[in-house]
Amino acid sequence: MITMTHYLVFSALLFCISIAGIFINRKNILLLLMSIELMLLSVNTNFIVFSHFSNDISGQVFVFFILAVAAAESAIGLAIIVSLYRIRNSIEINLINKLKG
Amino acid sequence: MDIITILFYLVTSVIIFSSISLVIVNNTVHAALLLVLIFFNSAILWLMLKAEFLSIVLVLVYVGAVLVLFLFVIMLLDIPVKKNPSPKLYLLFSVTTSLIMFAELYMVIFFHNFSDKANIVVSSELNNTYEIGLMLFTEYVFSFEITAFILLVAIIAAIAINMSKKQRSLRQNPGKQILENKKSRLKIIKGDEL
Repeated sequence: MITMTHYLVFSALLFCISIAGIFINRKNILLLLMSIELMLLSVNTNFIVFSHFSNDISGQVFVFFILAVAAAESAIGLAIIVSLYRIRNSIEINLINKLKG
Repeated sequence: MDIITILFYLVTSVIIFSSISLVIVNNTVHAALLLVLIFFNSAILWLMLKAEFLSIVLVLVYVGAVLVLFLFVIMLLDIPVKKNPSPKLYLLFSVTTSLIMFAELYMVIFFHNFSDKANIVVSSELNNTYEIGLMLFTEYVFSFEITAFILLVAIIAAIAINMSKKQRSLRQNPGKQILENKKSRLKIIKGDEL
C-alpha cells in the first residue's frame, strides 16, 4: 500500500537532487534553468499528493497556476539567455560578472 | 505487492535516476531529453493520484511547449560541450547541502502528523476536469485572471528582451539633424596623412 509518506519522501528527494544540480553546474545556465523546472515539478507533486489524500481539489487548482507561472518564467529566462549569448558569446555562469557583484 | 505499488516504485526510480543523470551530465541536449523522460513519468505518477487533467496538461504544455522551447534555444545557441571546472569541490558542497536539506525534510515528513484521510474516499460523480473547472471559475476566478495577465506580460517581456535595436525605417530624425555641427561632419586632413 502506497501511503502519503512514500510520495512525500520521493518529492523531497527530487527537490534535493535539483538543489544539488544548481550547485554543481558552473558551465551552463540552461542546465540551471532545467534544475529549477525539476524543483517546480517536485513542489507540484507535493501539491497533488496533499490534494489527493485530503480530498480537496484546491491543491490541483494551485498546480494549474504554478504550471502557468513556470511556463512564463522559463520563456522569459530563455529569452534572457538568448540575448546574453548575443552580447557575451557564451552562457557560462563563471563569466557572467558584468555587474561585478 | 499489488500493481500500483510496483508501478509506483518503477516510476519513482526512473524519475530519481534520470534526474541524477540530468544533474551530472554535461551535454545540454541529453539533459533536455532526460527532462522529457522525467515529465512523462511524473505524468504517470499524477495519473496514479487521480489528477487526470493536470497530467495531460503536464504532457501537452510542458513536454509539448516548454521543453520544445528549451530544445529550440539549445539548437539556436549551439554551445560546445564543456567540462565543469574543479568538479570535486562543487560536488562536495552540493552533496552536503542537499543531504542536510533532505534530512530536514525527512524529519518534517516523519515527525509531523499529517492527517492521512486516504481511507475516507468520497465517491464523487463529477470528474476531475469538471471539478477543477468549477473551482477555477467560481472561487479562484480572480487568480485565474491574474494568471492570464502574467502570461500576457511574459509574452511582451520575451519579445521586448529580444527585439533588435536595428533601425528598420529610413525616416529622418530632425532632432539629430539639428544637433549636427561642422565638426562632426567635416574632417580636414593634410595631404601627407593620406
